Amino acid sequence: MKHLFKPEIVKELWTLLILLLGIKVLWFLLQVVWLPTSGLDHLEERGGKALYYRAKLSPNEAPAPTITKKAVPIAGSIKDITLLAIYSASDVTVVTVEYKRKTKVLAKGDEINGFVLEGAGNNYATFSKNAKIYKVTLRTISKGNTSIQSSTPSSSAPLSRKRKVEGEVIDAGDHKIVDKSLLEHYATNIDDIYKNIGIKEIKKGKELEGFSISFIRKGSPFAKLGLKRGDVIESINGQKIDSHKAAFDMYKNIQNIENLTLGIKRGKEEMELEYEVN
Amino acid sequence: MQMVKKSLLVLMVTWLGIIILMPKQEIYYKLEEALDGYEIRLNEEKKSEGLFSLNLKGVTVYVKGINIATIDEVNLFTLLFYSSVELRSLLVDESLKTMIPQETTSAVLRHSVLSPLDVSVMANGSFGSLSGNIDLNERKVHLDFNESKKLQMLKPQLKKSEKGWVYETSF
Repeated sequence: MKHLFKPEIVKELWTLLILLLGIKVLWFLLQVVWLPTSGLDHLEERGGKALYYRAKLSPNEAPAPTITKKAVPIAGSIKDITLLAIYSASDVTVVTVEYKRKTKVLAKGDEINGFVLEGAGNNYATFSKNAKIYKVTLRTISKGNTSIQSSTPSSSAPLSRKRKVEGEVIDAGDHKIVDKSLLEHYATNIDDIYKNIGIKEIKKGKELEGFSISFIRKGSPFAKLGLKRGDVIESINGQKIDSHKAAFDMYKNIQNIENLTLGIKRGKEEMELEYEVN
Repeated sequence: MQMVKKSLLVLMVTWLGIIILMPKQEIYYKLEEALDGYEIRLNEEKKSEGLFSLNLKGVTVYVKGINIATIDEVNLFTLLFYSSVELRSLLVDESLKTMIPQETTSAVLRHSVLSPLDVSVMANGSFGSLSGNIDLNERKVHLDFNESKKLQMLKPQLKKSEKGWVYETSF
């Protein structure tokens, strides 16, 4: 009887098929013993974030007055005051202002047009009137080379310097005001944050528990916020900061906030630091 | 001669068998496990196996739970003696655009047995184009920005050389 295929070729084909089967079995064994059967996917948090409200409830205080709209007189406006020059040292703040075409030198606490001088930054001064804080920026003359600048040592830096930190944290006595431009600066220059403040992870085993401050640069806006080395940041605006995502989400939205409340733990004491963003 | 032919045939079939029958998805899951050790996770919309490759579409990259980037397509290819990873349209999150270039149109990493301790890198995007290598022995990365544009955010980390800007780091 004649064979349909050459027996040697059939034998070779069988050998190759057995070889392929052997490879498949080896891969299968490896798959069972060593390789995972499913991947690791990151699960996005689907739950909505709790809304944050800040309310001051105090029984000893008079009820909130009803808001009645009054026609604001043009006279007595902060716009009438023009800031011409600033001298700001650690112990003394003196500014020169122009009011009704007259130049006047004011020290901290002096009053003009009902506005009391509270303090000054590099290129602005703050005044208070009726428990409200007003900010007046330094007038600059761009024509020619003449320009009025702040007389503080920090103002000696060239104006063209890029990524200059603008805005300050202003101490208004009972509370602090964070300049919005300061938040905008840090929101767009993340690396500038790490030049002023060091943030360390707090871990329990492999689990992240929170973040603490490992260093803080003296005189930086972060130091002016009242933060100290060793403080544990527990929450920002009521949002628990217990993951990198929570911290990053807060950082991404920092430009849109109107109030800032930091929940911190200092030693065994838990406290809340509140700021107005203006 | 017949013996040599047979041996070559067996080698060829073994090589093809190893690649074609390779459980590519499961090996990719193992890679995901290894990346998880560095707190990096990849979420992909679609995975498809080819004879020599694994294709991932709509990949989202998370680092420490933060959405860092999205990649339209990732192609993992291997012939054992030559392997490559191709990324198409890598878009970094808006919030990080001040730190790293936002768009990478394509990036290719290649490894060959001819230089087993070296991985070549090529990429182009909003930053221009770059080429370089990863030295697996000395654990060093060297990248030359050949045609640099919009590199302001990276310049503090780059060195100026005769050819242009250079990025070097070790791991």
